[in-house]
Amino acid sequence: MSKILMKGNEAIGEGAIRAGCRHFFGYPITPQSELPHYLAKRMPEVNGVFLQAESEVSSINMVYGAAGAGKRVMTSSSSPGLSLMQEGISYLVGAELPCVVVNIMRGGPGLGNIAPAQGDYFQSTKGGGHGDYKLITLAPESVQEIIDLMAKAFDLSDQYRNPVMLLGDGVLGQMMEPVELGDIKDVKQTEKTWAASGMKGRNKPNIINSLYIQPEDCEDMNEKLFAKYAEISGKEKLWEEYQLDEADIVLVAYGTAARICKSAVDKAREKGIKAGLVRPITLWPFPDNVIADAASSANNVLTVEMSMGQMVEDVRLAVNGTCPVHFYGRSGGMVPLVSDVLAEIEKLAAGGDR
Amino acid sequence: MDLATPPVTIFTGNLGSGKTEIAINYALNLRKQHQKVYLVDLDIINPYFRTRLARESLEDAGLNVVCPAAEMANADVPALSPAIRGAMQVENGFCVCDVGGDDVGAIALGRFKPFLPSQRYNFYFVVNACRPLTGTVEGIEKMFRSVEDTSRLQASALVNNTNLGAETDADVVIEGLEVVKQAAEKLNLPVAFTTARQEIVPKLKDKGLSNVLPLDFYMLPPW
Repeated sequence: MSKILMKGNEAIGEGAIRAGCRHFFGYPITPQSELPHYLAKRMPEVNGVFLQAESEVSSINMVYGAAGAGKRVMTSSSSPGLSLMQEGISYLVGAELPCVVVNIMRGGPGLGNIAPAQGDYFQSTKGGGHGDYKLITLAPESVQEIIDLMAKAFDLSDQYRNPVMLLGDGVLGQMMEPVELGDIKDVKQTEKTWAASGMKGRNKPNIINSLYIQPEDCEDMNEKLFAKYAEISGKEKLWEEYQLDEADIVLVAYGTAARICKSAVDKAREKGIKAGLVRPITLWPFPDNVIADAASSANNVLTVEMSMGQMVEDVRLAVNGTCPVHFYGRSGGMVPLVSDVLAEIEKLAAGGDR
Repeated sequence: MDLATPPVTIFTGNLGSGKTEIAINYALNLRKQHQKVYLVDLDIINPYFRTRLARESLEDAGLNVVCPAAEMANADVPALSPAIRGAMQVENGFCVCDVGGDDVGAIALGRFKPFLPSQRYNFYFVVNACRPLTGTVEGIEKMFRSVEDTSRLQASALVNNTNLGAETDADVVIEGLEVVKQAAEKLNLPVAFTTARQEIVPKLKDKGLSNVLPLDFYMLPPW
């Protein structure tokens, strides 16, 4: 059988292994626990390391160690666990260490609940920890796309020496879909001449550190990071355009919300309403130019999120006043219904106030 | 299905093998012929896609659903209802148990051993040969042994639930059945029946496979 049926969480694990990741440190939390569960069984089969740490704080610092030694490494958690990891992520950025961090978001704030949500958009795309930095943030919408994006996540993090966030929600982590895994290939990894993995004949040791005690040096470091971010913004935006032909109403949504919006767009088109969707796949760098283009010939933009409205702020910046930007969302672990999104589209099509 | 049905039917299997949907459909089928049918949620592993979430519609269909109280339905705690014992000891009725995935899920079953003498139950191990850990005879055997050992009960048969979700066709089901049959032979157990989405059942019949429990789905994605 060429295809198999996988849970999103399992696909993240298998995708990581196929991307050459042999080190995982994490701490279980619903709704992503199938990922450590899967890797606990799978890592020993490929002579990899699976380690359940005593906390999320430990996990992310173990990631720092393995990344500093030049290994492809990953950790994963869900919303509250990611809050605990923020200091470590900032240190990883400061030391320019590559790694992949997975967040399968749940309802918040606080302990919240275990239901699917998208309330960690700001935390993921705007920094999250202290200091000036960005995480490359990838937002898959299907189990197959998870497999495809895991390889991308590790490649980008190595190429730019910056952590990459894979951002999903409880639905994506839990749902099962058929996937094509393809053959296991040898992964070409860039040589990490900076890693603390032995002197190898050099006379100067490689040092992994995020301490820049002189403000001049620290400013240089910030400028170096942002030169890198400018390059990433120019080269690495990913998005999907869905039914945008002559779209009067442009929806913008990612992940699970985008799946729901696609159904709503199809239903709207059946009713003769010209609706379409832009689905950002990289949430940072944000595909603002694509949204601006789509908005320039539209009457209305509608952002749909499983939150009180976070990405909508970036959509407004992208649209920059050329047409009204509306928002529809459910929060706290509630998932928007296709019929609710369709009703919002119909209201806009009728020209009424929302 | 023409097996004599004992009072208790238990569905186990690995994570995501399809136990919950099968247990629901099996219980609804029993309800068509019998007044008193209990559906027991024994899943302490995963609070997503559990019987308790479809409770209301199942109760409307006449099932007695045994799961943690409504206010606990979304709690991530390994709690089991005290009513489970009563359901398992039902007289003049039937009890269908949906057990959590893998060996860790089967732990919850072990504590009910004193109430389950061997003639009182059927223990089915559900296999989807399209799932990553149960795609081969060796994989199925390994998973089966770990689940049966922790459950402290004895398995009666395997159930073939091979599927690729929405992309399932008759060939997928039949190819899976071959793998499940080989595993069953190795484990010295029968294959009790195959399960498949309602629409595929006639196609399976055309291909000579008639011992099939048709499934309607109760856990659906939000789009």
